[in-house]
Parts: sequence; C-alpha cells; structure tokens
Amino acid sequence: MPPRASKRKSAPPNSSSVTSSDGRSVSNKAKTKGMDKIDRLFNTYANSSLGMIDPEGIEALCSDLGVDYTDVRILMLAWKLKAEKQGYFTQDEWQTGLKALGVDSLTKLKKALPELEKEVEEPSNYEDFYIYAFQYCLTEEKQKSVDIESICELLNLVLGVQFRPQVDSLVEYLKVQNDYKVINADQWINFLRFCKEQISFPDLENYDATQAWPLILDNFVEWMREKQS
Amino acid sequence: MSAQKKKAFQIEAFKHRVVVDPKYAEKTWKILEHAIHEIYNHNASGLSFEELYRNAYNMVLHKFGEKLYSGLVTTMTSHLKEISSSIEAAQGGLFLDELNRKWAEHNKAMQMIRDILMYMDRTFIPNTHKTPVHELGLNLWRDVVIHSSAIQTRLQAILLENVRRERSGEVIDRGLMRSITKMLMDLGPSVYQDDFEKHFLEVSADFYRLESQDFIESCDCGEYLKKAERRLNEEIERVSHYLDAKSEVKITNVVEKEMIENHMHRLVQMENSGLVNMIVDEKNQDLGRMYCLFRRVPNGLVLVRDVMTSYIRDTGKQLVTDPERLKDPVDFVQHLLDLKDKYDKIITSAFSNDKTFQNALNSSFEYFMNLNSRSPEFISLFVDDKLRKGLRGVTEEDVELVLDKVMMLFRYLQEKDVFEKYYKQHLAKRLLSGKTVSEDAERSLIVKLKTECGYQFTSKLEGMFTDMKTSQDTMQGFNARHGTDIADGPMLSVQVLTTGSWPTQPITTCNLPAEIRGICEKFRNYYLGTHTGRRLSWQTNMGTADLKATFGKGQKHELNVSTYQMCVLMLFNNADRLSYNEIEQATEIPASDLKRCLQSLACVKGKNVLRKEPMSKDIADTDTFLFNDKFTSKFFKVKIGTVAAQRESEPENQETRQRVEEDRKPQIEAAIVRIMKARRVLDHNNIVAEVTKQLQSRFLPNPVVIKKRIESLIEREFLERDKSDRKLYRYLA
Repeated sequence: MPPRASKRKSAPPNSSSVTSSDGRSVSNKAKTKGMDKIDRLFNTYANSSLGMIDPEGIEALCSDLGVDYTDVRILMLAWKLKAEKQGYFTQDEWQTGLKALGVDSLTKLKKALPELEKEVEEPSNYEDFYIYAFQYCLTEEKQKSVDIESICELLNLVLGVQFRPQVDSLVEYLKVQNDYKVINADQWINFLRFCKEQISFPDLENYDATQAWPLILDNFVEWMREKQS
Repeated sequence: MSAQKKKAFQIEAFKHRVVVDPKYAEKTWKILEHAIHEIYNHNASGLSFEELYRNAYNMVLHKFGEKLYSGLVTTMTSHLKEISSSIEAAQGGLFLDELNRKWAEHNKAMQMIRDILMYMDRTFIPNTHKTPVHELGLNLWRDVVIHSSAIQTRLQAILLENVRRERSGEVIDRGLMRSITKMLMDLGPSVYQDDFEKHFLEVSADFYRLESQDFIESCDCGEYLKKAERRLNEEIERVSHYLDAKSEVKITNVVEKEMIENHMHRLVQMENSGLVNMIVDEKNQDLGRMYCLFRRVPNGLVLVRDVMTSYIRDTGKQLVTDPERLKDPVDFVQHLLDLKDKYDKIITSAFSNDKTFQNALNSSFEYFMNLNSRSPEFISLFVDDKLRKGLRGVTEEDVELVLDKVMMLFRYLQEKDVFEKYYKQHLAKRLLSGKTVSEDAERSLIVKLKTECGYQFTSKLEGMFTDMKTSQDTMQGFNARHGTDIADGPMLSVQVLTTGSWPTQPITTCNLPAEIRGICEKFRNYYLGTHTGRRLSWQTNMGTADLKATFGKGQKHELNVSTYQMCVLMLFNNADRLSYNEIEQATEIPASDLKRCLQSLACVKGKNVLRKEPMSKDIADTDTFLFNDKFTSKFFKVKIGTVAAQRESEPENQETRQRVEEDRKPQIEAAIVRIMKARRVLDHNNIVAEVTKQLQSRFLPNPVVIKKRIESLIEREFLERDKSDRKLYRYLA
C-alpha cells in the first residue's frame, strides 16, 4: 500500500501518460484515483459550460459544507486555493488547493476547515491572508481600490473576531466620513497595522499622527477623540 | 738680623680685645630716640641727618639691630597713641581735618625716619624677615590710630554721613574725603574695604531702596527713569572724585539693583507712562533712557523686548482682523508701512539699532501679517495703486525707497506664491490697459523680486513684458504692410499674449461686431502668416475699445469701453431698442458677464449711455434696453470700462485660493520625489521637515497636505512603505 504521503507530493495533472515499472504504477494509480476524486468533486459543483465553479456552485458547496456563503472560512478556502477571481474556482486552483489541504472528499474538506483556520491565524500567514482578502475584491481589471461598503463588510469578516472594538469604531467612522469613497491597498494594510500595534484603545493615547499613518487613520483618531470628549 | 727668615708682610688682629662700650648701644639708641621725638614734634630742622644715619648704621653693624628695631616700634607706638588721643579730642567737623593733618605729618615723619634707618631697612630687616620701616609705619598707624575703638566707628560714621549729606544736595569737602579714602587705601585694600567700602555699599543700598520706593509711588515712568539716571551719574562722579576706582562698579550695581532691577516690571507696565505708552507717543528720548538703564541689569532688555513684542503683535493682530481697516487694501498696506517706519525709527534712535530688537520686530510682523490670508493680495493691490498713479511725478530715488519698503513687507509673507498669482493678474491689467506710470519702476520691482525669490518666480512676469514689446513690433509690421488698405476702417491695436505667461483666462464666446471683424481677420492672417504652427484666440474679456458716439442733441463723446460693452453698444447702430434676450443672442456673451456689462452701461449715474426699462437696479432677463439720447457728461471722454484691479469679492477669493491649493500639490509632490530620490529611505517627520524647508521661499506647506501627497505617490507607485519598518518610506526607482 503506498503511503498516504505520496498523494501529497505534487502529482502530475494527468497521470495517464506516465509509464513505469510495477511499483510506480501502483502509486500512480493511487494518485490518479485521488485526482479523480478531486476532479469528480470539482465537477459536482462546476458550471460545465464555463469549466469552473461559479458563484452558484460555491453557494452549493457552502451549503453542503454547512457553512454560510459569507463565512470567513470560505474566504480562507479561496486563499488556500489562491483563487484569482472572486466567486470562481478554476480546476487548477481546485486541484492544487485541495491537494495542499490533503483532502479529496467533502467530509474530509469539512473536517479540514478548523485546521485551515489555525493555519491562517499563524502570524506568518495572517498578513498574507489579510492582503489576499483585499485583492480578492478587486474584480475589475486595473481596479486598485474597493468601495467603502465592501471594505466595511470585509473588515468585519476578517478582523471582526480578533479586534471587535476597533473594527466596530472603524466601520462606524468609514460610513460617516466623506473624505474617501474608496480604500486602496495601502490604507487597507494599515488598518491591520493599526489593530496589531496595540494602539491603546479606545482612548488612543499613544497614537502619533506625525508617524507615517495614512491620513484616513489620523482623521479616524481625531473623530474618535472628539466623540469621547 | 737673621737673613734666613723672610716673612710676608702680615697684618694681625689686635691682640687685645676691643671692648665695645657696653653702654654704646644704649647711648646710640637714646640719640636716635631723641631724634624721633624731635621729628614728631616738628623739630627736625635741628637734626643732622648724617650723624643720625651713622648712628643707626653703627648700631646695626655692631649687631644691635634688634634693639634699634624694637625701640623704633615702641617709640612710634607711644607717639601714635598721643596722636590718637588728640584726634579723638577733635570735635565734630574738625575730626576728619585733624585726622588728615596728623596723617600727613605722620607720613612725613615716616619718611625721615626711614631715611635715617635706611641701612637697617636694607640689611637687618630682610635678614630677620621683619616688616620694613615704611610698612611698619603704616601698620602702626592702622592699628593704633584707625582701629582704636574710639576712632574706628566714628571715622566710619562721619564718612558715611558726608556721603548722605552730599546725596541730599549739601556740598561737602571732597578734597578732604579724597585724602581720607586715599589714606585707607594706602593702609591696605582690606582696610578700605572693611572699614569703609562695605558699609558704604550697605548704607547706599538702604538709601536707594527707600528713595526708589518713594519715587515709584510719586513719579511716572519717564520721570523715574530720569531720576534714576541722575543718581547713577552722581555716583559715578562721586567715585571719580573721592573714592577708589574699583568702587565704581560696585556702587553702580547697587543703584542698578535697587532703582532699576527691583522695579523693572512695575516701570515697564506702568499705566499711562510705561513702555507701551512711550512707544505709542514716540517718546524716543525716554525710550533711549530706558534702554540704557535696563541694559545694565540682568534680563532688563529681555523684559523690554518681550513687552514691546507682545504689544506689536497684539496691535498688529487687531489691525489685520479689523474689517473696517480691511475695506481699503491700499490704505491698509500704507498703514502697515507707516507702522514699520515708526518702529524702525524707535529701534534706531532709542534702542541703538539693537539687532535683537530688530529680530523681534521682524518676527512680530511676520506673525500678524500672516494671520490675514488676504495680505498677499493686498500688498499686490498696493503696488498696483502705486504703479498706476501713486508714483506719478516721484523721483527715481523715492520710487526705489517705496519699492524697497514694499519688498520688506513682502519678505514677511509666508504665502509668496499667492502674492505671485495676484501680482500677475494685476500686472496683466496694468500692461494691457497701458496704465503704468513708469516702466522703469515696474522693471525695478521685478528685479527685486527676482533677487529675493529666484529666477523661477519672475520668469513669467518677464515674459509678459516681452510679449508687450513683441506686440508693438508686430503691430508696426502689420501697419506697415496693411497701412493703406485699413486706413479708412477702425484702428486696431493687438497685444499677442503667450499662454502660460499670462494669468489663465477661460475662453468665452463673443460675436464681434461686423465693423471690426474684417480688420481682425486681416491681423489674424498676417500673424499666422509670419508665425506658423501657432494658434490664436481672441480674448474678448480682456480688450478695450474707444467709440465715437453722437447723442440726441448732437453731443459728441468718446466712450472708453470694454470689448463686451463695445459689442453691445454697436448693436444700437441698427436698432433703437433691444430686449435682453436679443442682445444675448446677438453677442453670445455669457450671461453673468453680459449682465454685469449691461449694468455698467445702463445703471451707473453719469455713464448711462443706455436706458433700461424697467428702471430697476438689477438686470433681468425681461428687461429692454434703449439708446439714451439724452445722455450728457461734462467730459468729452467718458470712461465706462472697468479695468482697474480691485479687491476680490469673497467668492472670487475662494476661487483663487482653490487654484493656489491646486498649484501647490504638484510642487509638494516634486519636492517629495526630489528628497526621496536623494535619500532613498526616510521617515515621516523628516520628509515633512525637508519638504517644508525646500518650499519655504514660496509657501508654508500644510503637513496634512504633504501626507496626502505622499499617499498619492504611494498609490501611483513612486514610493512604498518599507516592508520591515512601516514608519519608513522608500523610493521606488
């Protein structure tokens, strides 16, 4: 029996062309079988005319996983899959992603979700995931910023659990202010930095506007301070 | 005789003992003692110096120096005791006299005694480390006479009493005082200090403390300072007359402390006569006196300077925020110049041109002038007024003076780029209307601005002058070519303006009247014929026209009007009455401009060449206009066009402000990029500081705006935040 580990090695996309001695062919067969399962799972949700999973398919996947469409874990899944287009999973992405997760069935996928969460929360991955979340929203070509509404939702989704008070205030502010109608990547990453650098909240005593914080955060802090006085 | 021994000649000592007469020493001493007595009793003439000297010499030689010396001490001491008593006996005013006389006598006596005892002084005394005769004399005098209990206190008291009397105005014997203090000094510096000077200073301090208290209650600031100055000079004079020179600085310190330092705040702040009042009333003498006196005490000048500075700042602030004052910009700026002159004069004449005061004045002006954001505009309007008419008939030197003063105010502006914008507008109007008094004066000011701000600042302004000149040449060429075929028609004068040098104007529509369309086209063709690749557009909102008009009763007038007004008026050659809409259609002038134009033609008394129905003040779309047959004016030439530069209205001001802000953005960005390119990596505060420094000759950039620009540059990928330290920015090549 070939060890499970061999399945995790990057397998050739179509194992049919490989010819080998017996031993090899056994592992290849197993790989192919694994690939097949992943592919079959893919086809369950894919839009056949498009050749990839579309929003409807993702919705179906979500309900099968028992996870809400807007749950952050789907976003994490997209990150793991390195999905490029929001709302779609290509076959390549699907295959690479599921292999990386080490799953080939729905149940296994469901079980892998908590592990995925932990993986995302590792400090070395978190920032990457955070940035990915923003880029995932850039649906148009050459789009560089995301509208305020979407940003607010995204903040809630991504940072809400860990930094609830900061996110609540920030979202309130973003909805009230008029200076910015969209948020760019630079501002986005600085929201994380703001939460992480433990600016004493909510009094914001140690916030220094002469540091290189983006203007939107300077304005946010001023707004907070006025509210509190 | 034995021939064997031949001895050398020898002298041998006496074989017998030479016995000096034991009573020799005593006898010799008695002679000398007697001599000393005689000397002290003024009987010295009978003495033989030679004999006495020899006696003293012999005593020392025969080893009786000790006896001589101790005898001397005893004898002198007893004499001095007598003298002391006689001095003590002197009454009242004679005390000092007696003391002085006895001292003089003592000195003479000492001299004689010393001469007699010279040999001892030179041999015995150094060998035994005893006090030399002269010094001995001084010490004995000091110890026996001066420090005798009866004399010491009395002497001190009398000396101080004399000083007190003199201070109250009495005349005292200064010569006598001089001799006494000199005596004290001769006796040793510590004698002078301990017996006199110390007490003198204490008593003086008390005296001046009381006096200053009295003065400050009864005098105003100017009077008080006069009195203080007088007292100070008195003390200096006193020292030169009868005190030791070293006392001068000590007594002046006392006066300075008691009279000035202790009261300086009260003096400066004194109501109705303090520093501020002096400045307002230009009491330069009093101010000068205050400066000299306060200079002598620690922080005196700091106090004066600070009070002056806050006064200037406060009044300046009031001036620039007073709406009444701000109504007339020319008057406002003139007022600023007058103020500056006044303060300059005070600093030159009263504060001896002290640089720290100059600096304080400059910083105060800079402070309050920039409180009013309209200052740049107003200064430009002032210059405009001067160059239009104010400098008519003024000599070249005086012109330079005025312009230099204006430049001084200009230097205080933080927003020099705003000034540039207005200056350009006003200059354009002056040039195009031909209304400048002196082209030399214009040029001179440009040169001054260039020296101050660099080539960039004035290159466009110079471009405007060039265009005017070139246009003249072009017109000459045009008239030379087409002179004959345009002789019958209207006369055209064109100024060709290079876009970019002149203030930007929006292109507006306007149908020129048929009468001039022909010649305009001719010019256009002529110009484009000689300058290929250029595009010309008529700036109908900037031109002027002179029209010959004949009214109802045949009155002829020449009307100086704007191009718009010309277009409207020419319509009335073909119709007596026109509605607003008809006029609008025919001329295609934009509504707001047209309304303003019609208002100036129909609603201004003395200039109403048109009549309006109804006769309301404002122009309505439904109005009708008629040629005013009954128009009259005392002048042949009637000026209706509004060409002079005026103070902007609020909305116009807002618009200009916005444009300035827009212009600043690229300048800030350019500065940021320049700095980052050189430094590669920099933190936020440093960027802000560097940018501010680079731009300060033009304007003071707002840190918030700088941050916005940085973020814009990040978005456009000129800069990025450093990945490891997000407080740093990094230049992206």
